[in-house]
Amino acid sequence: MTRPVPGTGTRLREVHAEWTKLRTAPGTLWTVLALVAVTVATSAAASALVSCPSSGCGHDAVRIGLAGVQAGQAVTAVAAVLAITGEYGTGMIRATFTAMPRRGAVLAAKAVVVAGLTLASGTVAVLGSLLAARLVLPHSGFTPEHGFPPLSLADGPTLRAAAGSVLYLALIALFSLGVATAVRDSAAAAGVVLGLLYALAAVPFVMVPDPDWQLLLWRISPMNAGLAVQSTANLSALPLTPWQGVAVLTAWTAASLLLAALLLRRRDA
Amino acid sequence: MIEVSGLRKRYGQTMALDGMSFTVTPGRVTGFVGPNGAGKSTTMRVILGLDAADGGHALVGGRPYRSLRSPLRHLGALLDAAALHPGRTARHHLLWLAHSQGLGVRRVDEVIELVGLAPVARRRAGGFSLGMRQRLGIAAALLGDPPALMLDEPVNGLDPEGVVWIRGLLRSLAAEGRAVLVSSHLMSELQDTADHLVVVGRGRVVADTGVAELIEAASGGRVRLRTAEPAAAMDALARAGAVVAATGAGTVTVSGLVSERVVAVLGGSGVPFSEVAAHRATLEEAYMELTGDSVEFRAGLRASGSSRSSGSSGSWGDGR
Repeated sequence: MTRPVPGTGTRLREVHAEWTKLRTAPGTLWTVLALVAVTVATSAAASALVSCPSSGCGHDAVRIGLAGVQAGQAVTAVAAVLAITGEYGTGMIRATFTAMPRRGAVLAAKAVVVAGLTLASGTVAVLGSLLAARLVLPHSGFTPEHGFPPLSLADGPTLRAAAGSVLYLALIALFSLGVATAVRDSAAAAGVVLGLLYALAAVPFVMVPDPDWQLLLWRISPMNAGLAVQSTANLSALPLTPWQGVAVLTAWTAASLLLAALLLRRRDA
Repeated sequence: MIEVSGLRKRYGQTMALDGMSFTVTPGRVTGFVGPNGAGKSTTMRVILGLDAADGGHALVGGRPYRSLRSPLRHLGALLDAAALHPGRTARHHLLWLAHSQGLGVRRVDEVIELVGLAPVARRRAGGFSLGMRQRLGIAAALLGDPPALMLDEPVNGLDPEGVVWIRGLLRSLAAEGRAVLVSSHLMSELQDTADHLVVVGRGRVVADTGVAELIEAASGGRVRLRTAEPAAAMDALARAGAVVAATGAGTVTVSGLVSERVVAVLGGSGVPFSEVAAHRATLEEAYMELTGDSVEFRAGLRASGSSRSSGSSGSWGDGR
């Protein structure tokens, strides 16, 4: 009572199944469109609202042009949360683990497809943001006369900021997936993720007067540290170098996925 | 073949499984019956590796479920028909399941055809009736063409046509040599479907027996007699050494005499009768007989059936 196995090797079956799930979920297309639209629109708005009236105004044009990532990451985070909590909410998780009993492999497969889709849509969003900023920023005073040549990926730091922003979005997606797998409830998981991102980024400046604590909290905040990769000006003033910042966010992501894997293994589905 | 041996599982204070052991053999339908809370669903979840048992083991084809690389080719299961993403179409739901087993879209279309969902396969499952969801769940269970199947309350919520369809399907799957385990809290549902019964209560097996043997034992060689003169018939039969009881207007149940003797005695005494037949117990009666002296099990019945504990025989409530 068996039939021949066409195609996929056993190793990649979990990835194949998770990809089929993701692409046939009705929300996926809207998520991709929302990420691109929110990111590009916010970047364009930031580029239009900021102004550089004189030479050497001290702004980081690249960072302004990529400001939409701070809004777009919320779309990515919520979509990644729903990728797993949607299954817990409907009970479909039991069908998933019945079909694929290796839970660690299921989590890894989800991570692969969610990160892959985020990298692809994030690339579009980031390139769209840079293009919009390149068109809008000169009208806000970011002109060659004021020391701002047009944004270009041929510029090393700009390329690093752009690629780093795409990577940042993918890491946020994975971080959210890990937290959501541990928490299992959509609203609670979205609250935890967005809280850790936005609140932890703002708290040091609002509630902590001590500069040493402010510095520490800035360094361990996944959003502040992770977005250091967008900086192209005054790098020496940053508490962390761009890639150190990425490392902090990577540590958060690794910790959340590890916790998720441990809990998945131990808990009844 | 599914083997369950000494399963133990505790949820907080509740002992859900307390030494559950039985075997589901190929080629027949095994009914899995007991009141709600007896441990049927928990046993199935443990078999599927969804819940971990505190003790004992469950094997599918001799191996733990979680060690199977293509589990749906070994055991097809329907646990909860509502457990799917409402926004995904039926066909896409089956497609990701197929891909997880290394199967292709052709097999998906085959099982859709098999369960009669072809006209709605491209509609979102969220809009399906319970009966359509049950069919979709059965399509998923059949996807891997498995030698063993396990269905939790498959006829719950089905219309009469669906019930007949499921019964026929279960019979034919067993006739093809598959091991089929089907749970129910209603004995009558299994009357014409199951060959074998595993009766459970309070997390363990109360009886593990063939349906025919169970009914045979409960029928106890009794004879049912229909007569216009029950008093005279009872008198004559009692004198011949039988134990008699009036069981209705014009009906007498006789034990201790075979039907040929009953006919001879009545004929000899000149008592008219219209029918003498071997009494055949229903599965529900057999069940009551079986558990009549199982005090602990009856206590379990009372504990689980809050509103129905004094209700009609064989029905222990709804849902799980």
